[in-house]
Amino acid sequence: MPKDIAKDKENQIWLLSFYRVSEITGALFFGRLAKSMKPGPIQMDLTRHFADEAEHARLWTDCLAKLGAVPLKLEETYQERYLAAAGMPANLMEVLALTQIFERRVINQYSRHGRLPGLDAPVRETLALIMEDEKWHLQWIREALRGMESEYGAEGIATTLKRYAAADKEAYADVLARHGDRLDVLLGGNDAGEEAESDQDRED
Amino acid sequence: MGNPHTREAFKNAMANFLKRKPESLDDNAVLLELVQESFLLVEMIIELQEQFPIRLSQEDLRAVRTVGDLLQMLIAKTA
Repeated sequence: MPKDIAKDKENQIWLLSFYRVSEITGALFFGRLAKSMKPGPIQMDLTRHFADEAEHARLWTDCLAKLGAVPLKLEETYQERYLAAAGMPANLMEVLALTQIFERRVINQYSRHGRLPGLDAPVRETLALIMEDEKWHLQWIREALRGMESEYGAEGIATTLKRYAAADKEAYADVLARHGDRLDVLLGGNDAGEEAESDQDRED
Repeated sequence: MGNPHTREAFKNAMANFLKRKPESLDDNAVLLELVQESFLLVEMIIELQEQFPIRLSQEDLRAVRTVGDLLQMLIAKTA
């Protein structure tokens, strides 16, 4: 039994470190993007998005500290898997479409995690804080994409979202194949991809 | 072979982003090896579109692998 507890603890530290490094990667990407954008509403929202992601990385770092742990230095990020599966976005619309799909996955993952029974209080509180920002991320990107319809066409944007949703499933399946043992506690025998797909349907 | 001034302007912009000298950007250099991180390549492509009146799509980049490929594609977009 103590061995299982130790394993659970190890998996939890890995998962929270994975969240943390993904938030850092997002912050760096959106920060650099916000820096190169021309002034305007998208630049403003990207800047806030960048700041949120950086704050989330801090929250996960603090959460790990409250659990008496230090973040693991992970080289792998979920975003890199996304790019490998989806191909490289080449314009702002494609970047935002990819981000929209990615944020849906994050919300599903965090919300699934937040529903686990017996969750440590720091984890539950951190997830609740982050989820509030994540909802805004979905909202501003959805509105920005709507504003781009005159340039890219509503159909073109919808097609791009569908293409990235397919890539999302591939990227998540890849993560499960590599780290399913660490995510077992979250999956509970279900296919986590189903939730993301149903969200996608609601969106469309 | 395209407008040499435009080619130079694109190359200068790429070099500026990559913090390199333009002459160090060999046409055969593989972009992903230059940037090391694919997110930086996305940023460079977006920044080029901020600087120049061009619009690229994922489809445009499908066959782009090297500096020369990218320059050729950018020039074709401005033609």
